[in-house]
Formats: sequence, C-alpha cells, structure tokens
Amino acid sequence: MNPILETKGLTFIYSPGTAYAKVACDHVDVTLYEGEFLGVIGHTGSGKSTLIQQLNGLLRPTEGQVLLRGKDIWAEPKKIRAVRFQVGMVFQYPEYQLFEETVMKDICFGPKNQGLSEEEALERAREAAYFVDLKEELWEKSPFELSGGEKRRAAIAGVLAMDPDVLILDEPAAGLDPKGRDKLLSQIRRYHKARGNTVLLVSHSMEDIARVADRVLVMNGGKMAMLDETPKVFARGEELEKMGLMMPQVTRMMARLKQLGYPVRGDELTVEQAVEELSALYGKGGQAGC
Amino acid sequence: MLSDITLGQFYPGKSLLHRMDPRMKLLLVVAVIVFIFVASTFTTLGLIVLLVLTAVLLSGVPFGQYAKSLRAILFVVLFTSILNLFYGSGEALVQWGMMRITMDGIRRAIFVAVRIGTLIVCSAVLTFTTSPTQLTDALERLLTPLRKLRVPVHDIAMMMTISLRFVPTLLEETDKIMSAQKARGADLESGGAIQRVKAMVPVLIPLIVSAFRRAMDLAMAMECRCYGISARTTKMRQLHIGTLDIMSALLVIVVAALVIVGNMLLPGWM
Repeated sequence: MNPILETKGLTFIYSPGTAYAKVACDHVDVTLYEGEFLGVIGHTGSGKSTLIQQLNGLLRPTEGQVLLRGKDIWAEPKKIRAVRFQVGMVFQYPEYQLFEETVMKDICFGPKNQGLSEEEALERAREAAYFVDLKEELWEKSPFELSGGEKRRAAIAGVLAMDPDVLILDEPAAGLDPKGRDKLLSQIRRYHKARGNTVLLVSHSMEDIARVADRVLVMNGGKMAMLDETPKVFARGEELEKMGLMMPQVTRMMARLKQLGYPVRGDELTVEQAVEELSALYGKGGQAGC
Repeated sequence: MLSDITLGQFYPGKSLLHRMDPRMKLLLVVAVIVFIFVASTFTTLGLIVLLVLTAVLLSGVPFGQYAKSLRAILFVVLFTSILNLFYGSGEALVQWGMMRITMDGIRRAIFVAVRIGTLIVCSAVLTFTTSPTQLTDALERLLTPLRKLRVPVHDIAMMMTISLRFVPTLLEETDKIMSAQKARGADLESGGAIQRVKAMVPVLIPLIVSAFRRAMDLAMAMECRCYGISARTTKMRQLHIGTLDIMSALLVIVVAALVIVGNMLLPGWM
C-alpha cells in the first residue's frame, strides 16, 4: 500500500511563549495508507482534534511536517486551499456550519469553491446526498428546517461533495440516537468501500471504531500511544484503561470468559463475531452436558 | 488565530495587586487617571509615572504584555504628539511656511505622549490583574446606591457579566465555524474589501444562529433556576477591604496631594 498522508515529528503548541502555552501535539509520526480506514481514539484533551486539524492545513504545525503524497503541504502556503480539497474534514457537530438558503446550495458550497461549474457541482452534490441518504424532497428546503439528524447528514454531504482523497471525520455520530449512529456509520463505511479512498475516523465509541477501522491510532497526552491493527490495539486492554479508554464491551466480556477458562478467542471485536463464537461453544457445551 | 484577541486581557497571578479588592482597584485607577490630567508639570506627572511603574512592578505581569497594549495605541500617541509639536508658542527652532516647531511644542509633544502612555498602562494594570467577573462585581457594588433611583443595577451587572462571559465562547465558536468553512474551501483571507465581506457570510449566518440558540438555552436555564424570583441575591464571594487596600489608597492620596501642591508651587513646565 502506498502512503498518502504522513506526519513527521508533528508538534503543535497553543499560545507559545505565554502563561497559557500548551503542547497539544508532541512529535507525532503517523502514516496513512491509500484506501485504509484508520480509527483515532483518545480521551478528551488527548490532542486528537489538534492532530487532525494539522492534517488539512487548518493549523500550521509549530514544528514538523505533514506530507501529502510525499509533498510538504506548507511548502507553498498560498496553495493550502488545494490541500483542503484533497483532505476533506468533517468537524464535530458539523450542522452548525450550514448557512445557505437551501440544502442543495449548501452542499454545493465546497465543490463551487473548488472551481467546478454549476452543473458539475450539482452532480457532485446529488451523489453526496445519495451517499448520506438525504431524500430528494429535502433538497430545496432551508437547512434550518431539517431535523437534527438530517442537518448532520446534509453537512457531511457538503464535505463528501468535494470528493476528497482523504476524508477525516471528527465524532460524526456524536449526539445522534443509537439508530442514527448505526445508520451514519454504515453510510460512511459504504462510502469508503465505493470510493476506495482513505478515511480517518475520530470517535469516543470503541464499539464504532472496532467495527469499522482497519488500524487504530491511540492518542494520549498529545503523544502517539499506539498505532496498530485494530484487534492488536484492543488486545491491550489494561494499557488502554490506564489512558482512560476501554476495550469494546463485547471484547471485554469475551476476554473475561477466556480468563474464566472458556475456550473462546477473547479478542472478538463485534457482537456478530462473539455470537458466532458463543453459539459454537453453546453447541459443544450442550453436548458436554453443562 | 482569533484567540489572540484578548478582551479583558486578564493575566492570572497571585501578586499584591491581584489580591486587592476590585472595588478599591477600580476607584484608585479612576483617581490616578484623573490626576494624570491634573498634573500639569513634568515633575508632578513624573510622580504619577513612578506610582504607575510601581504598580506595574507589583503586578507581576511581564513587561511584554504592557508593551503590547502600548503598541496598540502607538498610532494615537504619535498622532497627538505630532499635532502638539506644531502648536507651541515662542521662538521657532525650525520653520517651513506655516509649520513651525518651537521648544514649547517639543515639550508639549513629549508631555502628551507620556500622559497617554501612562493612562494606557494604568488601565492595563487594572485589566491585567482583575478578572472580568471581579470587575463587574466591583462595578455592581459601587453602583448599588443608584438602586434608590430605581436603576436596575443588578440586572445591568448581570447583563455585563453574561456578555463578558460569552465573548470567549463566541470567539471560539467563530474560530470553529471559520475552520469548518475553510475546510470546505472558503477563501477568507484574500480578495478586496467587498469580496472579504461577502466571504464572511458563511461564517456570520451560522454564528448568529448559534448566538440565538445559546441565548435561548441560557434564558431557559436561568428560568429553571428561578432567576429574578427573589429580590436580593447574595454573593458567593464577599468582597473585603483589607490593610492592603487601605495602604494603597493612602499611597494614592499622598501622591495626589503632592501633585496638587507641586502644580501650585512649581513654575511653568518644570
């Protein structure tokens, strides 16, 4: 796999040289590969947001570099906007960025800034609306009339419409009900599969990350604590707990079962995997007369 | 970044000045500002400069911070100084047509510059060492007598506190919305004046919407806690005038007296 986005010794200090100076990102080296789905976890204040805002040039690193396809994104500061079209970013609570008269116009804002024609922008917007399952009758409504979940999806569509090579999502499901959460997550996964682009998902929900991410980056105190394949990261439950994080609930349960001597793998990440394992066990157990 | 704009510019610390009663600080700063204008000779103004410098030293706030607030008004100082430069009377040192610079003009220019500079530094001492909440609290206390005239002092103070409280919140919100729109390729930094104003629309609309949302939420929360039901609320933090405050008041009174006496006794500009 080819690296698409790399950071080298990435360091960011807020208000350097004052009483409020704070190192939010401390020599982080991460490589994102083309087509991968990277999950980012870390408790509040661990530097996740600072890290991702440097990836698309919204924050300029105090030290270190961000390389997009091997080129330093700050090599030509005037061209930083071009980077933002390639590295799309969906902020937390993105519905607060809606401003246009109609939903469609709002989704077109990004593509139009890219310099696309009206028709091309509309085409992109329609496609994006399709990905987030935004029904056609909503397209000409004012974004402020939509329900919370619809607003969220419209705002995400606004970023998808720019067709970025790397898509960064910061807690896209925060504040949604469980059903909306699942739906949004599967839409993101579907988008990732269909486009084959790179997705970086920041989330507080270990369950969500376990279900969708190929690899997981764990941030702690502004530093990179772990970066590995998802099952390997969640196998280090004790270390995660020390950082205020946890394994997914189902993994915790299976690990405990294994501890108690049941013949299970103990690293199941999703309910589906656990069900499979347990029903096999139940079958055997039944025969043994447990 | 927007967070560079510090309103109130409180600089947390534990210095003598930080520990003073905000009411006393407010009153003394007003008094000193009055006497900056009362002082009409270099000696008496110098006395006040010394007083203010002492306060600066005691405040424990780095000089750089004061320099920053001075830099902000550098233009005003230069402008008034240069204007004063040409208004002196007496023998001309340099002359081009109507424009003449005299010894008197130079004196005036320096005097005005020192005056404005001291004024700014003096008020900076107050805002650096007093948090906005303390300031409004002090103001409310000082205005309490106006209650007799049916002035809603408490509500006014509450409104001030709330607006000050929401300045950083709204700044942060603006920062976030700007980032979100920049991430969608909004160009907020280039172009002419009209283009820039137009480019702000995607930031302003969400900002106004969110300000309304916050206002309603806050109103709701305040009602839920029965704001306005009891006529008098007590304060969580009671203010006390201590020895420190009395000492500083005495110091300011002594300097003020010296300024008045000095003004009367010293001849001319001395």
